[in-house]
Amino acid sequence: MSKKRRQVKKSTARRRTTSRKRAISRTAAPSARGALAVATSARQTVRARVAAMADATLAVVDDDQALQSMLAVLRDRKEPIKVRLAALASLQAASFSVVAFESCRTDYTATLRAVMDDPNAELRQRVLGLLMRDKDGAAQKRLIAGLESPAKALVPPEKALQLLGYDPHADAYRLARKIVKDPPNETAKREALRLLGADSSARPVFEKILRDKKEAPEYRRISASALHAIAPDVLQKHAREIVLDSSESEDLQAASLTAIAQFGDADTISGDAELMKRVGRMRSGASTKVKQTAKRLLTKYGQ
Amino acid sequence: MVVEIQINNSADARSRYLTWAPSACRVRVTDPTGVPAPVVNLRLSGTSTAGGGQVQFRQGSTGTFANSILLNVPTNGTSVSFFATGRFGFPSRSDRDVTIEARRGNTVVGSVQVMVRIRKNANTLTTGERDRLVAAFAQLNNQGTGRFADFRDMHTAVASAQAHGAKGFLPWHRVYILDLERELQNIDPSVSLPYWRFDQAAPNIFTRDFLGVSDNLGTVLFSPTNPLQFWVTDGVQGINRRPFFNTAAAPGGGLLTEAQTIALGTAYPAFRTMEGNPHGSAHVSFGGSISSIPTAARDPLFFLLHCNVDRLWAKWQKQNGRFNPAVAASFDSAAAPIGHNLPDSMWPWNGITGGTRPPTAPGGALAVSPCVSAPGTQPRVQQALDYQGTLNAAAQLGFDYDDVRF
Repeated sequence: MSKKRRQVKKSTARRRTTSRKRAISRTAAPSARGALAVATSARQTVRARVAAMADATLAVVDDDQALQSMLAVLRDRKEPIKVRLAALASLQAASFSVVAFESCRTDYTATLRAVMDDPNAELRQRVLGLLMRDKDGAAQKRLIAGLESPAKALVPPEKALQLLGYDPHADAYRLARKIVKDPPNETAKREALRLLGADSSARPVFEKILRDKKEAPEYRRISASALHAIAPDVLQKHAREIVLDSSESEDLQAASLTAIAQFGDADTISGDAELMKRVGRMRSGASTKVKQTAKRLLTKYGQ
Repeated sequence: MVVEIQINNSADARSRYLTWAPSACRVRVTDPTGVPAPVVNLRLSGTSTAGGGQVQFRQGSTGTFANSILLNVPTNGTSVSFFATGRFGFPSRSDRDVTIEARRGNTVVGSVQVMVRIRKNANTLTTGERDRLVAAFAQLNNQGTGRFADFRDMHTAVASAQAHGAKGFLPWHRVYILDLERELQNIDPSVSLPYWRFDQAAPNIFTRDFLGVSDNLGTVLFSPTNPLQFWVTDGVQGINRRPFFNTAAAPGGGLLTEAQTIALGTAYPAFRTMEGNPHGSAHVSFGGSISSIPTAARDPLFFLLHCNVDRLWAKWQKQNGRFNPAVAASFDSAAAPIGHNLPDSMWPWNGITGGTRPPTAPGGALAVSPCVSAPGTQPRVQQALDYQGTLNAAAQLGFDYDDVRF
């Protein structure tokens, strides 16, 4: 489609939706329009503009021109970053008024994509989050590219992995496995494990980490949580063994007891004399969190 | 002599829950042994455990409530009606912490344990209340494939026009959180959905033992004793939530306070602008799932946020007397998409798909309550307004807020 045709189509759609918006949404209160004037005026102080942004939300859902002026603030790299972040928040709040906002969504998404490369890391991160929660293909490609070539990264690897979790798929799993094996930092490994939790073929990875006492308790607990989703019976088996193993860490014992108490099969647990005896001893153990979960389990099973 | 007391006119133990709205109850003699007279004089009163809920009574459908009432009950087994209610300001803390007793003279001839089950400020829950809520949520979510998945699927981009951007926003979300609350109560009947009062500091919510603590990346961390560590939605583990404010304080950032929200206007069209601020502003006071419609319901905090939105509506309704759909100012007569008008049935509970409705209707009918019959399994917008049964006792939805009187 030519650029001119696209513009005509867009303009027609805007006219149509503007009249629809009038029917749906009452005219913005004068206070909202006043707030918008302050929020978008370069003559005002940063503080005043940021303060006005929340009140301007109503004007944004009510008026195309207001929306465009807010998008212009967000796009403009010369604007103070605090004002741009507040403009983004105001647009986000407006986006919750779906019916009224829907006609603006194309422009909104286009602006977010334009800001994806912004020099400001915080703005980049927030915008990428918004796009990924809408499963935006362009944002996803850029995140994958950044994980493959760190020079192209828009955000640190741990953030990229976290954001890819909004729409996990094979490419992301492949990169997450690579990072689990050779992590650039501890948080990236954690986020890679969380992402892999959506991949049912990763069960062996989680079983290995869960039972490896040399792994950090945080990774082991993530593995327990992932197994709960992928193979709940397998988690219950490991959780029982961890509870019975007195050399296990308190965190893992507490997490295992929680998994058993919350999700275990009632008949299996109440009939497991060895487990119940061990949990009975844990009730008077040293760690508060272990005692607490042991007590909870015993109460649930009437002991 | 033995007397049976039925709460919410039911012998079902699951119906023994009260709110601030009057519950229809009845008492009857099941064993008249030792009473030769055709009628026996009984006194009904409530006794509570320390810090427990308190109840009040009245015989008819009007009049004031008292701490006890005298009833003349036939010994032939015929039931006598009365009404019971929670005493405002004295909700229960745990299940069955109030006992309603029937006495003949000084002798207890019948009793029933009840709970004054009220939605409370999440920041002030007891440890027991908090732990029961968290456990029920975790159970509902179970492996991300439990019943919670339906609630997740109800609040997505494709379905958002049913629930947002028009006058049905408040009624739809009232029914949505009621549906969730009833499912939580099917797991643990002592649970009620608490609210996150986002215009006040709520440090007790953002702890590892409750809804978690966010690290710098926005990954929410839980204690090893918290079952929410096993939270899964859409196949993905955990919760992403990055607060843009100090969670020891209120969000700020221009977010309207309770007083400012209620002062938006006395007619519904003005009040419902709260969908932007404070509702939208509260959502975007975080990064992460809760800040976007398609993913907001991945975070259990979402339901506490919406419980507060609903509480603000309830408070506004109470202050302005806006329970009656027939009163213009109670709602909005302007044209609106289907699903937003008073007589419209609400998706997904109506099961209607395609056309102007989303392509699927996850979750099926609305969960039923053993305590109340409204709003039925396929609610309409107008049924969300009279939630306390102020105009019609049969319309009450079976919930109340700790700071909104009947």
